[in-house]
Amino acid sequence: MADQANFERDALQFSRQLYSAAMRMARNPSDAEDLVQETFLKAYRAYDTFEEGTNLKAWLYRILTNTYINKYRKDSRRPTETDLGDVEDLYLYRRLGSEDTADASRTTEDRVLDGLVESDIKAAVEELPENFRMPVLLADLEGFSYKEIAEILDIPIGTVMSRLHRGRKAMQKRLWEFASQRGLVPEDAERP
Amino acid sequence: MSHDCECGDAKDQIYQYLDAELDEETAASVRGHIEDCNGCHDYFDFERRLKMVVRRCLTEDMPETLEARVKELIRQETTRSH
Repeated sequence: MADQANFERDALQFSRQLYSAAMRMARNPSDAEDLVQETFLKAYRAYDTFEEGTNLKAWLYRILTNTYINKYRKDSRRPTETDLGDVEDLYLYRRLGSEDTADASRTTEDRVLDGLVESDIKAAVEELPENFRMPVLLADLEGFSYKEIAEILDIPIGTVMSRLHRGRKAMQKRLWEFASQRGLVPEDAERP
Repeated sequence: MSHDCECGDAKDQIYQYLDAELDEETAASVRGHIEDCNGCHDYFDFERRLKMVVRRCLTEDMPETLEARVKELIRQETTRSH
């Protein structure tokens, strides 16, 4: 059992990370701040149920995720089990023509990776349906293991893997569109 | 196993490899393959760099006042419950 007196010392070190995740969930600073405050308050109230020595970061993310889902899902009425449709594997890399022309495409890869701006990446993640966005955020932003993500989201590990895989592919498809709009890819690679 | 087969296996396992989810033996075999195979090396390198770019771009600067507000909320909660 954890002692509430240690809450600030132990839990607040994760506030910056929680805020980054909250921003991608709520999609605006004001709601993200509310989300983080509510998460810490709930966590503080329940801190005596947290088993000391277990994974505090994952525990806080579970509260953050549930708070987000309870608070915002009913507002937005957006479908949560949306299907992403079919996106081929290695999407971005293949579209860059990198498989066939190893030397010439290296510079294209660099141009794309350097040229995509922060807002492109953020938009590509934020546009993912929630059930795909969460695993991508938890893995790519926070570096949680599949097992931790399964526990945080309360879904089987196989579902984590498939959603992560498909979410990342859909994100790459969107990044390709941004790269294309920004003129980062050679014209002959733009044909479908 | 033929070279093409190894490439297919490596590509199937790329995310698990980059996410550090493979057991040591499998990870070593994937690592061995990408060291030997230029095509897979480039592909893995691209995905690894993309993952880093994504992580960097998703990290936000927290508003300076937020942590203070959280502390204040906790203090109010402590006062209320005592």
